[in-house]
Amino acid sequence: MNYLFNPENWEWIVTGNNVRFILQGFAVNLEIAIISMVLSLIAGLALALARLARWTPLSVAAGTWVDVWRNLPLIFIILYLALSIPSSWRDAWEDVIPSWFPEGLQSGRVVAAILGLVLYNSAVLAEIMRAGIQSLDRGQNEAARGLGMSYRQSMRLVVLPQGLRRMVPATVSQLITLNKDTTLVSIVAIQEVMRHGRIVTSANFFGGVQAPVLQVFLFVGLLFIIVNLALSRLSRRLEIRERKRTAVGEVKGVRGLEEQAAAGIG
Amino acid sequence: MGDYISVLTDNLDEFLAGFWVTVRLVAFSFVIAMVVGTLVAALRIAPSKWLQRIGGVYVETFRNIPLLVLLFISFAGLRRAGVGIGPWTAGIVSLGLYTAAYVAESLRSGVFSVSKGQIEAALSLGYTYRQTLRRVVFPQAFRTVISPLGSLIIAMIKNSAIIGVSLLALPDLLKAARLVQSRTFETNEAFLWAAAGYLVLTGLATLTIRVLEKRYAIHR
Repeated sequence: MNYLFNPENWEWIVTGNNVRFILQGFAVNLEIAIISMVLSLIAGLALALARLARWTPLSVAAGTWVDVWRNLPLIFIILYLALSIPSSWRDAWEDVIPSWFPEGLQSGRVVAAILGLVLYNSAVLAEIMRAGIQSLDRGQNEAARGLGMSYRQSMRLVVLPQGLRRMVPATVSQLITLNKDTTLVSIVAIQEVMRHGRIVTSANFFGGVQAPVLQVFLFVGLLFIIVNLALSRLSRRLEIRERKRTAVGEVKGVRGLEEQAAAGIG
Repeated sequence: MGDYISVLTDNLDEFLAGFWVTVRLVAFSFVIAMVVGTLVAALRIAPSKWLQRIGGVYVETFRNIPLLVLLFISFAGLRRAGVGIGPWTAGIVSLGLYTAAYVAESLRSGVFSVSKGQIEAALSLGYTYRQTLRRVVFPQAFRTVISPLGSLIIAMIKNSAIIGVSLLALPDLLKAARLVQSRTFETNEAFLWAAAGYLVLTGLATLTIRVLEKRYAIHR
């Protein structure tokens, strides 16, 4: 305890550029998280729809795909991709990425990281969305079809808006998990917060002030806690507002899945 | 195809040893997660506001912090502070405490799934607070938490891979795949067999949960 609160061990916060350097690393995490979130949500919806498709081969293929990727450890996927992605893909990324993009994303190594995050999270999100859609009363779809809507119209106008709204809390929990999982990309040598934290704690950095590991990573943890708490507060507020607006009560039968997603699993 | 089989047979010992390390990591962490998770859940439903708040802080902290950061704190951080704990202890305790937050949340919502009327009925029949929990609430809550707890075990199997590649460097299944890959340069083969190992574990867990769910299903 003495060690933890000893002011000498917190001096690094005010000396040199330590904090700024760590925050720069954290920004890379957030950027990777945002890109992966957008791509995972799109891919997840596509997978969920494929899984619910009426054409059996497509739904079986999508189901297998989802079950394989969501049952593998994310770090396993990222490592595998880092080792097996052809270097031409990496070069292509470095050519394509606009120069105004942050420096942390310029390296071709980011491809494996983002691809891994998207493969894993799109599978988990697909499962969440599928459960949301299926929890909807079948009568909704039947009524829409009975009114002469096509399958597409019924999906777009009736089923999806209601089904997806129910799964907002579970989806947000998964996005929080995704945010935490961006620390795993440090394994493929992307200069993000974990790497920056380790650099700060090594000697001879910024005028020889060596920051203690414990305090630095407590600080890093605090950054994640702040951002993730803000995310979950925001979603709760949205949920309350939506509930008031649409008067949708608690949904039966999907609670288990919400918790599953809360655990970052699926 | 021949490559795939020879990579497995040549390195079978390493893969099996890694598989066994993963199983042990998950098993030990699960014990810690259940014990600590139950305690935290008890805090969160305790009659005192302060105890509830302590439980809440635990859950929000451990649920929002990345596991990798926890591993850095518990292994490298504490070592520099003079409280050196080995990689096994650090890995198991970190994964256990991390999952305990989720366990606590599952248990708590399981308790809240028991309707208030039942608790009031039990109390008015002269049951004490403790008796009500033990005789009325827990038996029912247990059934509703089977499936979330099962999902947590699957999550632990996947999260255990983080321990193997972080600075703790425990020789788990993923580490085995990495070593075989760096020796043979057969990336697809080495990772396919490790993937099979993980899918076997998560598949077994899924099947077990399904059986338990059927067995203890509440027919209303």
